This record gives sequence, C-alpha cells and structure tokens, in this order.
Amino acid sequence: MLQNIVIGQYVPVTSPLHRLDSRSKLISLLALAVIVFLANEFWSYLALLATVVLFVALSRVPLRFFVKGLFPVFILIVFTFLLHAFFTNEGYVLFSILGFSIYSGGIEQGVFIAIRIGSLVILASLLTLTTKPIDLTDGFEFFLRPFKRFGLPAHEMALMMSISIRLIPTLLLEADRIMKAQAARGADFTKGTMKTRLETMTAFIIPLFVRSFKRAEDMATAMDARGYRGGEGRTKLRVLQWRLQDTIACIVVGGVGVVLAILRDF
Amino acid sequence: MVEVALMTALALILSFVSFPGPWAQGGSVSLMMVPIFIMAFRHGWRVGVLTGLLVGIVNLMYNAYIVHPIQLLLDYPLPYAALGLAGLFAIRNRTGKLSLGWALLGLLFAAFLRFLSHGISGVIWFGSLAPDGMNVYLYSFVYNASYLLPEVLITLSVLYMISRAQPEFFNMKSRNSVVTS
Repeated sequence: MLQNIVIGQYVPVTSPLHRLDSRSKLISLLALAVIVFLANEFWSYLALLATVVLFVALSRVPLRFFVKGLFPVFILIVFTFLLHAFFTNEGYVLFSILGFSIYSGGIEQGVFIAIRIGSLVILASLLTLTTKPIDLTDGFEFFLRPFKRFGLPAHEMALMMSISIRLIPTLLLEADRIMKAQAARGADFTKGTMKTRLETMTAFIIPLFVRSFKRAEDMATAMDARGYRGGEGRTKLRVLQWRLQDTIACIVVGGVGVVLAILRDF
Repeated sequence: MVEVALMTALALILSFVSFPGPWAQGGSVSLMMVPIFIMAFRHGWRVGVLTGLLVGIVNLMYNAYIVHPIQLLLDYPLPYAALGLAGLFAIRNRTGKLSLGWALLGLLFAAFLRFLSHGISGVIWFGSLAPDGMNVYLYSFVYNASYLLPEVLITLSVLYMISRAQPEFFNMKSRNSVVTS
C-alpha cells in the first residue's frame, strides 16, 4: 500500500542548473517569483515564457516531470481561464455562447493568467527537481544564520530538517511493516464503516508512534555517546561552494527582471 | 530535538496516507496534524511550533504548490507552526495528567489559526487571479473549510483514541541532554 508512493522530486541528471549552488538557486527563485508579477502585457509575457522555456531546457530534466508537476494546477488554470473568458468585458466581442459574450480582452487576460500560474509552478518545481533536499537544507541554514542573534536556532533547525529528510524512507518502510503485521492479524484498512476504519487506523498509528519515539530516544543516546554538542565549531561533510556560475546565474535572473520591467506597460 | 525530527518525518509520511478527495486546488484530508499536536501537548507550545514549522518547510521541499510569493509563506510554514500553539492549552492537573477539555479547546484554536492562514492566503493569491467583482473571501474560506473540517474531525478522533489507549504519549519524560526533546 505504501510502496508506490514516490517521495521527493529530485531528478539526478547533470546539467548547469544541477551544478549551481543551492543558495544561488534559492535567491533566483525568490527573485523570479516577484519578477513573474511584473509582466502585464503581450511582450513582457512573451519574455517571461521565453525565460521559463530557457531554464527548463537548461535543466535537462525530462519534460514529463514538469507535466506531472503541472497536472494538479491544470484544473485551476482552466478554471481561472474560463472565469476571465466569461467575466471580462473588454475589447471586442468574439462570439456569443449561451447568452454569454466572449470578449477578446477576456481571452487575453485568461491566457496571461494561465501563463503566470504556469510559470510560477514550473519555476518552483525547477528548484526541487534540480536540487537535493539535503542541499536545500544547507542553503536554508545559510540564510537562517543571521537570525541566530535573535535566538533562532539555525544549526539545530537545519540538523532536524536533515534528520527528518533522511528518516522519511526509513519510517515509510516501518509504516509498511506495521501495516502488513496488522493485516496479518486481520486488520482491513480499506473496508468498513467510518468508525471501524478509524479503529484500524489507530491500530496502525499507535505502534508507529511508539516505534518512532523509541527510535528518537536511541538516536539521541547515540548522539550523546558520540559527544554531539551542537553547532559551535562543527565542521561539515558537504560544504557549499559559491562559484562563478552562481554569480552569473544571479546576474541573468536580475537581467530578466530589468528586461521585464522595461517591457512592462505602465 | 531528535524527537522533533522524527515527528516531522512522521507527519510527512502521514500526509501521504491521505484520503482522496475532490480538492483540486491544494489541500487534502490526512492525519498530518496528529504528530504536531502530540508534540505540542507533550513538550509545550515552543516545541510544537518548531515541529510545525519544520513540517511546513520540509513539505514545501517535497510537494510544493506555489502560485504566489505570499501564498508560499501563508500556506506552508505558518499554518503548521500555528498548529503548535495548541500546546498553550496543555494544562495539567497535579498528577501531571493532561486536561482533556483544555486540550480539545487548544486543538480547535490551533486548527482555526491554520484555517485562517490558509484562508487569507487563498484570498491573496486567488484574488490576484480572479476577475474583479468575484467574492474571493467567501470562495477561499468555504474552499479551505471543506477539507480542513473533515481533517480536524479525523485528527480529533484519532487523538482521542490515542489518549484512551496510550495516555503516556502526552506526558514528557525529562532527560538531561542537549539532543533529546
């Protein structure tokens, strides 16, 4: 029941985007999320679309991964497109259907909004498709570090994040084992009324919690035994490196922002 | 600390064990809130908020659904962190037993905060897309309630059953170490 779940989206291929530092990718994504909203007429949307296509091509990730990421928002895109098509009354009437007049302005607005949502979703999935969660965690830690003086436990948070990321597959396996064990005792997770289903659910969830608490305690003991003392003066196995290509990436993103701001219709 | 990490992982896993529903614009009914609430009641609201925050961020890395910069903040880290505030209501009697009435109130309060966060986020991002004149407030709040309400009910019943079967889940064990808790 749990095996066919695919977690994480990282696609391990080599590409210029994969080689970038996770920090520069985080900055770029943040900047691009704002830049997307700059576009407001034909040429700026075209430039935006071109940028997204360029980045997708650079990532060398098979297109079906993007299609998969876009699928859940597809309904939303169609929905907003129809809303705009029916309720915007600008431009000239293209045709009338069921008493509604479809205006050219409505179609235009609908297409623009569809591009806007589509590019935001694609840009965000580009980050997770080309960056390992563990690298992202390191990137987060870097940006959280300045907040340390306000009492934010940056190192601890990053450590907890990497532990939980590491343990997701392990716990998934454990959950699967418990499910099978309970099924062997006659539990049926798919049938029954709401009440019996909740009861079988509890029979699955309680052992899962017990074992997780146990594992947490064992792990804490192991870390204590190895003399773990927190963030001060710790070295790292993986060190993030800011290279020339990262600076170039940030400049390119900034350039896209400038181009869109110029093309934009005020 | 390790416990927080484990519970975060657990919350993520439980989010996969979701009940399929007609929620096309994000959100689904799952048991994801259970670990956050357990941590909040077990170790107090600080740890609860921390667990929630981590769940939000890791969830963001795994199943991101981003349509607006502010929506990112209001749909991922914030609502889950707010769930941890349920720990504010973890009031114990002299024997250290949790008061169920207060816990229930805390759970509902925290779930309401999460609802508010998702709701406002919906108003912001959907409002930026929807044509003028549409009631985005009504739309967003009704939409978010449609999956949060069943989720809260299920979480509530599962937590109730846990409290019947394993009340010690909600009691913290003190231990002097940097890494525990």
